[in-house]
Amino acid sequence: MESNEFIKKLKTFALKSSAIVAFVLLWEAAPHLGLIDPIFIPPPSVVAVKIYQLLLSGELLVHIAASLQRVFLGFIIALVVALPLGFLIGGWFKTFEMAVDPLLQVLGQANPFTLFPVFMALLGIGELSKIGIIYWVCQWPVLFNTVSGIKSVDPVYIKVGRSMGLTKFNLFKKVLLPAALPAIFTGIRMSAVFAFFMLIGAEMIGAHSGLGFLIIQSEAVFNMPKMYAAIVSVALLGIAINYLMLNIEKKAMSWKEDIVV
Amino acid sequence: MAKIESVNVKKTFKIKNKGNQYDELPALGGVDLKIDQGEFMVIVGPSGCGKSTFLDLVSGLTLPDEGTISIDGKSVTGPGLDRAIVFQQNALFPWRTTLKNVEFGLESINSDKDNRREIALDYLSLVGLSGYHNHYPHQLSGGMKQRVSIARALALNPGILLMDEPLAALDAQTREFLQRDILRISKESHKTVLFITHSIDEAVFLGDKVAVMSARPGIIKQVLDIPLTAEQRARDDVVATQEFVQSRQTLWKLLKEEVIKVQEAQIRFQSQSPAQSPARVSGNGLINAVRVLTKI
Repeated sequence: MESNEFIKKLKTFALKSSAIVAFVLLWEAAPHLGLIDPIFIPPPSVVAVKIYQLLLSGELLVHIAASLQRVFLGFIIALVVALPLGFLIGGWFKTFEMAVDPLLQVLGQANPFTLFPVFMALLGIGELSKIGIIYWVCQWPVLFNTVSGIKSVDPVYIKVGRSMGLTKFNLFKKVLLPAALPAIFTGIRMSAVFAFFMLIGAEMIGAHSGLGFLIIQSEAVFNMPKMYAAIVSVALLGIAINYLMLNIEKKAMSWKEDIVV
Repeated sequence: MAKIESVNVKKTFKIKNKGNQYDELPALGGVDLKIDQGEFMVIVGPSGCGKSTFLDLVSGLTLPDEGTISIDGKSVTGPGLDRAIVFQQNALFPWRTTLKNVEFGLESINSDKDNRREIALDYLSLVGLSGYHNHYPHQLSGGMKQRVSIARALALNPGILLMDEPLAALDAQTREFLQRDILRISKESHKTVLFITHSIDEAVFLGDKVAVMSARPGIIKQVLDIPLTAEQRARDDVVATQEFVQSRQTLWKLLKEEVIKVQEAQIRFQSQSPAQSPARVSGNGLINAVRVLTKI
């Protein structure tokens, strides 16, 4: 009975990884088949070895640390700013919301890359401008989803809370907040994705460390294996972050049945 | 002195129409009603006559535009722990277990964690859901969810139970069982109950008195005494008794007139202005922005 289930799981896993495995094998075989020039696109084996070398020498970790530090700080600042703001706008200040909403929409939909020079002019070319732009990019999904989450709380929950004489604070803490949490988490998850996305872009434009910088620098000196090593590292890091966020979400909302990690 | 007394209660809603002005929608046109302590009062009426609005007013969630609602002689100015509501739609908090849902109201007045748990478990077993205290609402059937809602309302030991079509969303069999449970529980605990329903059979089965509300703007057209004894109601063949049949027929006649009025009004309304309904406040830009973003 148990071995049957195990075989079943193995089969599912094999099926799910089949496309990725096929892709990697094709990439590996492509130079030998003459499909691509290995100088421009090194096969996975070369990239893997390069990643290993960079890890050993510590160089990769230095850049990963620089990247993670920026994205983490920008993300946290965005949460600290956008979550309370979202609660206030969504829950209390209805007229304020109507007045400020058009402006927020314009700002939130502006391409952040166009604003990066502004951040650099205001905050210099050091860490602050990069953390600043990441904060900027993160706050919009969190803000909009928090406002939307609060506004779309089923009014019957609020009725129940009010009928039991809850204070406004308790109404917020015990009814609005947990009810809006799924939407808020969606915003947080989205902003984590955007943050990482923006991070690489910012590092490519104006940085002296980080994975984005590593990619640009390797390309400039034509160190292709190193560049691909950095690219793959970015991909893997992005997957890891997404996986981490989904797990946090699943834990925080264990009562919801439909999150599949 | 009546437990609950409503004197000339009026309520009008303002609905934004297309021209950005407000249409007046009179929901209640002067409701007079007296409910005695321990009485099970049922309100029936055609759709849209204002029954739920009236319940909202008694609960204190909204205030009347004119007239007063008093409980034990005191005017209602807001919600209170002496009244508990059970809604038609599922109002259980999905993020709390069954037990925690029942404990919800107790958290504001009882700081003893173990005592709260005990009380909640007691009420859960009262509604027949002893083993389900660690379940989440999404794991329960509709009937079970309503039982939990009832337990949650009872946990605060309110003197008054307000029920807004609590069984309407359930299948017929669950409904019949729950009707008997509600009757038994409310009588055993001597609660005063105000119960809203569309079903005449349900009204006659449950109610000591049944108030028929007129079409909008709602007023109480007539209050009917239901002469069924507790022993009769406890029997399986209560629907075949003379008293049941007669009460049912009287109610049906009264209600039919009002339902026809509503239907005629709808036909008139539709022939006057095609496709006009009270304008809903349109979804605002922020929500649209989120929709755009979540499509990424």
